[in-house]
Amino acid sequence: MKKALILAGLLLVSSLAVFGQGYDAQPADALVFPIGVAGTPYENAELGTQGGTLYEASIEDPRGWNNHTAHETSTTQYTNLMHRGLLNLDHISGAVVVDFAKGYDISEDGLVLTFYLREGIMWSDGTPITADDVLFTYNDVILNEDVDCNARDGQILPDGTFPILEKVDDYTVTFTLSTIYRPILNSLTFNLMPKHKLAQFVHKLNPDVPAGTFNETWTLDTPLSELVGNGPYVVTGYEVNVSVTMERNPYYYGYDNAGTQLPYYDKFVSLIVSNQDVSMLKFRNGEIDVYALRPEDIPILLPEGPAKGYTVDITDKATYGTTWIMINQDVGLPDGTNEEKRELYRNVEFREALAHLLDKDTMVQNVLNGLGTAQWSPISVPSPFYGGRDFYGGPITEADAVWFEYDPALAASKLDALGVVDADGDGWRDLPSGDPLTIEINANDNTVRIAYCLIIQDDFREAGLNTNFQVVDFNTLVGQLFSSTGDIIQLGLTGGDEPNSGKNVYRSCGALHAYRFSACEDPDEVDLRIDELLNLGANTFNLDDAFAYYKEYQQLLAHQLGYVYLCQQTFNYARYDKVGNAHLASPTSTPGGNNGLLTELCFDKS
Amino acid sequence: MKRNGLRALGLATCAVVMVSLIGLAVDVNDVIKNELIDEISLAAGMALVGEYTLKTVEELENLAANGLTPGIRYAAERALFIVTGRELELYEMDDDALLELAKAGDQDAADMWYFKNRAQFKKPSLVEEYLLTVEADTLAIAAGTALGGFYVPGSPLGAKTEDELLELVKNGESLGLRVAAATALTAFWITTQPLTITEVSVEILAVTQVYPELALAYQGYLAYLFGL
Repeated sequence: MKKALILAGLLLVSSLAVFGQGYDAQPADALVFPIGVAGTPYENAELGTQGGTLYEASIEDPRGWNNHTAHETSTTQYTNLMHRGLLNLDHISGAVVVDFAKGYDISEDGLVLTFYLREGIMWSDGTPITADDVLFTYNDVILNEDVDCNARDGQILPDGTFPILEKVDDYTVTFTLSTIYRPILNSLTFNLMPKHKLAQFVHKLNPDVPAGTFNETWTLDTPLSELVGNGPYVVTGYEVNVSVTMERNPYYYGYDNAGTQLPYYDKFVSLIVSNQDVSMLKFRNGEIDVYALRPEDIPILLPEGPAKGYTVDITDKATYGTTWIMINQDVGLPDGTNEEKRELYRNVEFREALAHLLDKDTMVQNVLNGLGTAQWSPISVPSPFYGGRDFYGGPITEADAVWFEYDPALAASKLDALGVVDADGDGWRDLPSGDPLTIEINANDNTVRIAYCLIIQDDFREAGLNTNFQVVDFNTLVGQLFSSTGDIIQLGLTGGDEPNSGKNVYRSCGALHAYRFSACEDPDEVDLRIDELLNLGANTFNLDDAFAYYKEYQQLLAHQLGYVYLCQQTFNYARYDKVGNAHLASPTSTPGGNNGLLTELCFDKS
Repeated sequence: MKRNGLRALGLATCAVVMVSLIGLAVDVNDVIKNELIDEISLAAGMALVGEYTLKTVEELENLAANGLTPGIRYAAERALFIVTGRELELYEMDDDALLELAKAGDQDAADMWYFKNRAQFKKPSLVEEYLLTVEADTLAIAAGTALGGFYVPGSPLGAKTEDELLELVKNGESLGLRVAAATALTAFWITTQPLTITEVSVEILAVTQVYPELALAYQGYLAYLFGL
């Protein structure tokens, strides 16, 4: 009787996940990772074996399972494991590499890209993947105005049109461009979606469903058995505030060079915790296997790691993203106040004076425990286009960087020259008219940002600038940012390798051009040149030209001092030694995220 | 004084027994049950915490209260701490409540207070400054342990050499500084593995009466060796 009950239980569990049986043998078109092969990005990786469960923690619940309507990493950290695209960013090198496409050609004029798809590959439910799925994903989801899709902006060409995707045969597709768009390869890393499961929810393909239905598809209410993917894992379990469980996709087409199908771990479980402190406690207790640590965690983890069997990797690799203060050049514009202050904030000499009061070295040492790097550019430090490097190569060098060194005396002389002096003898500098000048700095409740602001406030006050720092709710702060009602705001942006991905911030009409929204209607020469450089950088396949355009772009933005950059912490990681290949964790794996693990290559060594 | 003398005699006797064990495999489960030297028994206990978490809460409570050796009681207490989720209970407490418990001798509460406030101590000098005015030994140990993370060779900020750490663990002006040095030494030795189980045990016996924090450093290293 007991045996019968257990068997029934097993049947019930297996019916929850609709998986096919997997391939009989390694497909001829499998994607093979050259594990341990010298001269490849994977030369330091180890061959693994299948089995086990990898645990990590996340501080947010996912908001759904629909990759193309997700806007937040709390969702895409799972959907990016469930879906893969024609191309992908190499986990280690960050280069654009083939994924579901086995190869591609670019025509001599750069306007036609032909992709050859892997044949004999299935979705996780055993249905073949063909060119129809690529067309469905691109034409019916990404370019469909009815779908609230994050990937669409990245497809816009410099002339405002979109690439045209056509099917040549079941395993060949072409993208035709009206003009050269170098970041097209980055744009074509979009994840593929299964037409046989999702076409029924797209209004233009199935008029029986209302417009917008796709946006409500594959939500948290969807039975998990409905989810189908082509990536290494598929979500098979979710308990609110507790965990997300993913299991291997038996039809994933990735293999190692010893013929073992990836991923190595059978399961991947993300425990959902209330904050990073709890993540750290769970890591110390061995409940999770990996942890992307903060600088303040290092003194605690470093000494106990050897005894507990984990390693703390402290690296000099910068993470993606930028951290900055924004001097609002439209201050008072929405309600017609603060005219003189606005005029002052719009004066680049004043912004230069403030930039000379930013003590980035102290921020790096005191706030980041020395584990960070000062920033000057809008482009993320790990990007090959970043202008302040000496270890990624590229023609842009530190010599071209635009730095405003911490120099309170120089700042004071600039303020004096602008007439920003103490007119009434109260100890604080006043506006040139003699009216009082008070600077308000706001940041959200983030320990690192608060520490930055306290340092800035001290230095501003030391220079005679009456400055008040206040912590405000994050949503309030974002509201200030979008409504031009803030004064000086300290926040950060995510980033990636391609500078053009920042055009929503730095184009004069960009949705996040928060330091001067009025530039959209009244752009100055610099704004117009920045707009032009963004298009020029994208409009060429010649990397030397692109480097040159983006070098000028970075320098102009640095001189413009709209966002004034501060510091970014380096990539630090803690991992139990039983997790094979976890030593390859890198910020390159997940630009903009905090988990650099190469999940499908990790394996259980215990 | 008399007690110390008797204890020293016991230590010497056991040292002879241990030295005779050179070359034999060490069963840490035997060590935890039979070891007479507190520090060595405790090292075995530290090595067995993970294994003890597989026991029931009832078993652990019994062993924590009535275990025959300090190592058994220690392993049971730490395993109880993990399996009952007390760590998260402490995490939910406010700073005042944690400080009150810490001043009453609760080391876990002190550790949690420090953990929750560690952002105030981003540089070794800030921890050292705090140790000058620390109000309880539990808090000194918590802060000292974290300070050890700065001192450990290879640390990006505040690393000390082995010689500097040995000097500090013996003659540091405060308990917190000596604990910091002990923590860093344990981590360093685990990485470099300079001594065998028997050699470490002998060292513990030699220093435990004179330099208790140095014995603590060896004890942490011995626990690691027991766990191999």
